[in-house]
Amino acid sequence: MLNTSLVMSSLEQRLESIAMETMLADPAGEGCAGRWSAELMKFSEQAEGGGLSGLAKLAREASERIGGVAATAPEGEYGSLISIELLKLQQALAAVPASVAAPSSASGSIAQDRELISDFVLEAKEHLAAIEGLLLTIDKDEHDVEAVHSVFRSFHSIKGLAGFLELHAVGAVAHEVETVLGEARELRLSITPAVIDVVLASVDYLQRWIVQLESDPLGVPPAALLDNASLVSRIQHLLSPGTEPGAKHAAEHQAELVISAQPPPAAEVEHVVSTAKQGQGKSVKIDTAKLDYLVDMIGEMVIAQSVVRHDRVMVRTQSQQLTRKLAQMSSVTAEIQRTVMSMRMVPIGPLFQKMARLVRDLTRKIGKNAEFYPFGEEVELDRNIVEELADPLMHMIRNSVDHGLETPAERVAAGKNPVGRIELRACHAAGQILIEVSDDGRGLNRTKIFNKAVANGLIVPTANLTDSECFQLIFRPGFSTAEQVSDVSGRGVGMDVVNKHLQKLRGNVEIQSTLGQGATFSLKLPLTMAIIDGLVVGIGSERYVIPIFAIKEMMRPVEGMVSTVEGRAEVVMIRDNILPLVRLHERFGIKPRSVKPEESVLVVTEANGRPFCLMVDELLGKQEVVIKSLGDRFRNISGIAGAAILGDGRVGLIVDVKGVFAA
Amino acid sequence: MQSNGSSVLESSETRIKNRAGKYLTFQLAREEYGIGVLHVREIMALQPITAVPQTPADVKGVINLRGRVIPVTDLRIKFGLPETQHTPRTSIVVVQLDNDAVQVGVIVDEVSEVVNLQQADIQDTPDFGRDISVPYLLGMAKVKGTVKILLDINRVLDASELKTIKTLLEEQEITI
Repeated sequence: MLNTSLVMSSLEQRLESIAMETMLADPAGEGCAGRWSAELMKFSEQAEGGGLSGLAKLAREASERIGGVAATAPEGEYGSLISIELLKLQQALAAVPASVAAPSSASGSIAQDRELISDFVLEAKEHLAAIEGLLLTIDKDEHDVEAVHSVFRSFHSIKGLAGFLELHAVGAVAHEVETVLGEARELRLSITPAVIDVVLASVDYLQRWIVQLESDPLGVPPAALLDNASLVSRIQHLLSPGTEPGAKHAAEHQAELVISAQPPPAAEVEHVVSTAKQGQGKSVKIDTAKLDYLVDMIGEMVIAQSVVRHDRVMVRTQSQQLTRKLAQMSSVTAEIQRTVMSMRMVPIGPLFQKMARLVRDLTRKIGKNAEFYPFGEEVELDRNIVEELADPLMHMIRNSVDHGLETPAERVAAGKNPVGRIELRACHAAGQILIEVSDDGRGLNRTKIFNKAVANGLIVPTANLTDSECFQLIFRPGFSTAEQVSDVSGRGVGMDVVNKHLQKLRGNVEIQSTLGQGATFSLKLPLTMAIIDGLVVGIGSERYVIPIFAIKEMMRPVEGMVSTVEGRAEVVMIRDNILPLVRLHERFGIKPRSVKPEESVLVVTEANGRPFCLMVDELLGKQEVVIKSLGDRFRNISGIAGAAILGDGRVGLIVDVKGVFAA
Repeated sequence: MQSNGSSVLESSETRIKNRAGKYLTFQLAREEYGIGVLHVREIMALQPITAVPQTPADVKGVINLRGRVIPVTDLRIKFGLPETQHTPRTSIVVVQLDNDAVQVGVIVDEVSEVVNLQQADIQDTPDFGRDISVPYLLGMAKVKGTVKILLDINRVLDASELKTIKTLLEEQEITI
């Protein structure tokens, strides 16, 4: 019997890998059309075999469309067509009813084997992730001997395990790479980018194996996976003397290497150790629903505890012992709460690492030169968001490298550093998570985008748009379909795909760009489930939470600081700056304790870069809160970003500072 | 159009067929109402409610239900009944709607009991006239000499088709 769920997940993987490849290769490149359409045919056959004939039909049609369009269409149209077709298939796959996907009973297999293989999968995944990170380190600094050792050890472990499980194809590749690295370790081979290319290709190959083993531990892998002859010969080729272009460099670097190899600089070792630690973390898979429940229950526990603490009997008690015991319990609960809160958040670092790899591969492929600088890798995001983010980020990075950055020659001509700069940063900003992709390339050409949008009928020629509104046009479906925008030095290929993904995450994207100096794409994502530090403020009998990162300062005004403008708007004079005043009680229709500013507190914050003051009755304290959605019923309330459970168990609304100001 | 009409007919038929069962009854302004017990998740004492700006008057705000934030509606206001002081008996009935992932709390004057109603106990809602539809009423039940108004809670909380029950009852001079 065919196990449909296995087929499903294997189809999913296949689709993902096609998507990844179209990202890496120039999808519109020469001769690629046949390849994608063949890939999709294979996909279709597999779907047919798994009894998903609807999906198979879709894939077949997509394949035909791509094949057909490739012959006639201009390149740009064709590139985004592939993205769109793939997205369609992904959606179709996701829509396959759960009943179909439900696993039928497993055939009588040896459970032990399954377990061993899944252990191998877990361990190999950790190794491969560590290897990839280390290789990128080595790529920047080939003298990092400690990193070479680590990579060597990881391949060695994989080889050993694969041999044990009789995964000969895996073992063979690992063995060959190990041999190459062994030479490098003995300083007989220098690690050139070409070597790293091949090792990375091996990592990819092993990763495909892992994916296969994960989806179908006991099945027969497809022939393409078993055939590693070309890869093995590529690896062996690295060692055959004379033909390898990097070999002659080896001698040059050898002396240097020996010196740096003796006492490895402390900082580098630390770095390696920390990378290794990341890779070696043992993990357990947990249903997120259980995690959510745990978080809620811990919250209840903290509240119950605070009720005990404030109980009249407790407050009046003379027993120091009892007080101390309670304090001890509190500290334990607080620790548990912190841990549980952090459990469903993952750092964005690994995703950034994938992007580093993407930049490397892309630049090498298209002959551009770029350095990748990640910032804020430690920023933690909800797991689901990180997963969903991978696709749009890949599209944007690709867009930046492909269309944003000029060729080295063009850069020199423009008086720029021939090596481009791609930055990826993550941070919390005003209650959201902000992810920025910036490049120092040619920037977006406003006039050309505008003209193109007019030509495509998206806007009227008389439209009066700001720069950011104009740039926003490239996310419109149908913007990039007529001709490739990069030809006219605009942007836009695949951008409507980015937008689709972001809509799913309920995020948005903005572009800032200066012609000739580069562009920055800012993604703003909601922080469903994210934890923020909040300032709890009181207005009348209500309490609100203001995100701390939105707050610049807080103060109690003295008489005369607040004055009215035209009898309507109010402003505050703070150190010679005049800031608008927003009375939160008026915005939210609450009866305040006092309407006099002197008896209230002003919170200085900002919206869209412009500072302003919020007037509240009192400050009640700072609290780390989990942001909860208010649900569909309250979706469009301006000025409210969500809700949070406060220390006493009541609900506090989280103020959306920007929304309050705009209202 | 035709298929639309027939599906409405079907659903109302099934609704009527399935009316027998257990109902949680409660009081609102001395009138007795009932909602299907399968929709009721829990009953809790009134607790502090956090008001949410820019919402209809009947939406009192949100409460914390063991870590989840759920909206609370005051049924008196929803049905156009006069608002009163809350008493120790005032309760929040937490209900689960069919098409909504979130649960919703409704404030009632007092929870009475759970009654088991047979098909024979339940009568169709009287015809309130051609122009007025009362889609949120399942029917009327007579239990121990009192009339209980059975609500389709899904429709009650679907604000769009609501017309105040009070006006309807007055218009038709129905005595309860």
